[in-house]
Amino acid sequence: MLLQQLVNGLTLGAVYTLLALSFSLVMGILGILNLAIAELFMIGGYIGFAAIGANLPLPVALVAGMIGGALISAVIEKLGYEPLRDAPVVTPMLSTLGFSIILQNVAINLWGSDPLQLPDQYLGGQLQFGWFTIGKMQLTVLVATVLLVAIVAFIVQKTSTGRALRAVAENREVARLLGVSANRLVLFAFMLSGSLAGAAGVLISLHYAAITPYVGVEVGLKAIAVMVVGGSTRIWGALVAGPLIGLAEVMTVAYGGSQIRDFVVYGLMILILLLRPQGLLGGAQIDRGQRV
Amino acid sequence: MLEVRNLRVNYGAIAAIRGIDLDINAGEIVALLGANGAGKSTIARAIAGLLPFQGDIKYDGRALRPNKAELNVRSGLALVPEGRGILAQMTVDENLLMGIYCRSDKAEALEDIARMRERFPILAKRRNNLASLLSGGEQQMLAIARALLSRPQLLLLDEPSLGLAPKMTDYLFGMIAKFRDEGLTVLLVEQKARQTLKIADRAYLLETGRVVASGPAQKLINDSTVSDAFLGGHAAH
Ligand SMILES: Nc1ncnc2c1ncn2[C@@H]1O[C@H](COP(=O)(O)OP(=O)(O)OP(=O)(O)O)[C@@H](O)[C@H]1O
Ligand SMILES: [Mg+2]
Repeated sequence: MLLQQLVNGLTLGAVYTLLALSFSLVMGILGILNLAIAELFMIGGYIGFAAIGANLPLPVALVAGMIGGALISAVIEKLGYEPLRDAPVVTPMLSTLGFSIILQNVAINLWGSDPLQLPDQYLGGQLQFGWFTIGKMQLTVLVATVLLVAIVAFIVQKTSTGRALRAVAENREVARLLGVSANRLVLFAFMLSGSLAGAAGVLISLHYAAITPYVGVEVGLKAIAVMVVGGSTRIWGALVAGPLIGLAEVMTVAYGGSQIRDFVVYGLMILILLLRPQGLLGGAQIDRGQRV
Repeated sequence: MLEVRNLRVNYGAIAAIRGIDLDINAGEIVALLGANGAGKSTIARAIAGLLPFQGDIKYDGRALRPNKAELNVRSGLALVPEGRGILAQMTVDENLLMGIYCRSDKAEALEDIARMRERFPILAKRRNNLASLLSGGEQQMLAIARALLSRPQLLLLDEPSLGLAPKMTDYLFGMIAKFRDEGLTVLLVEQKARQTLKIADRAYLLETGRVVASGPAQKLINDSTVSDAFLGGHAAH
């Protein structure tokens, strides 16, 4: 039972991690909170549902969600961020809020405001490992998350584009002097972030086997909190905070009751931030993200 | 190699550069001297492509478009900015790799990095350290090495001696003097006038956005108005 809950918690945490990573790619690199990410996540969920409902294999559904997320994110960057780059920091944030409301409205009009359910036939049954079982979907969510995080880590840490991205994040002017087209890299960051949000959306719709146009608000807010708890200037803080929050949430529901779920989860976050205001992995003052 | 005509740069309502002419011939070390706030960095940054400007800057006979640093570096113009501009959160190696970001001949560029490590052994020794852990002098070496990796024809150095110990400054100036032998053209922005004039071919003296004196470095050292106005404070050398 406990082990089962641990797996559930890790699965949920995996989705939080991906989504928090999506937020922190833009936050850590550009210093802005892209609120539309929450709705890219929701749209990703619907795309995943559509793909799985059409009997497409899961990797295809995942890739479809990622492409959808990346493309919408590119539009948001072009229309909602680039023209406002030199405006005060709250301006592009408001414009991303505008996009998130638009996306939610589009989803309500396209798919209705009632939840869509994924029929059992798609959920793929259980795998038995000795005395504990794991849903095939849960396993898929975990494996996909680990793979995606590894791919993103590789891109950011090891590729020339990833280095350029970090250079832009640290000092836009120096990056330009070295030949980096900052505009192009910012667009790339938005698309990478959007693809992660889309993937997380596909995975959450599998985890819950249901989706509503409001899932972005609920889960998105938690992912932002996960990012802050992890340390918003350190991209990888989400890797610690995501599983932690996922576990806390599932354990609370299992042993405390779902009515105190958010109370415990957000309470824990506030406690962590009181003890470590910079987040779990956040560094000192100098690590504060700057805007580019 | 570089022709600057009637260059004007404004920061909002502030006119920082008020119409200057400046020439750099291939193979020269040209010094740009002036007190704090004279506008030296502004000129270097406008040439490098970090600022909008009015007037003409011609490089290799072609007009440079304002604010196109990412293109300029590909046509052989490199700036080591004031304060060195190293990427502190990256390792020494990653900084060097950023130096070849603009190169299309990657295999050869990687060999250049290897050569740069031989030239500056400290960069090989500290290759996996965060660049922020290097000393000021080491950071300046890293910044210069990184700029050289773009294979510039014209190297702009903005106050490279800033914050360096005297011994390190001597070493640095010795190194810059040798760039000439490698066929590199240098614009050296400095406040340490006497030392700079010793290695420069020609110099421009800047005061609140205007050129107030220019000519062969040797002549400027001996020019009484220049030494009174500007070199006095550095008489110790
Ligand atoms: N970003 C900016 N915004 C407004 N004014 C600026 C800006 N940068 C420089 N200035 C002003 O432009 C003038 C020239 O500055 P600049 O940095 O080019 O001088 P400098 O000769 O390089 O000085 P220093 O020796 O201190 O580096 C100064 O009056 C400065 O205050
Ligand atoms: Mg300066």
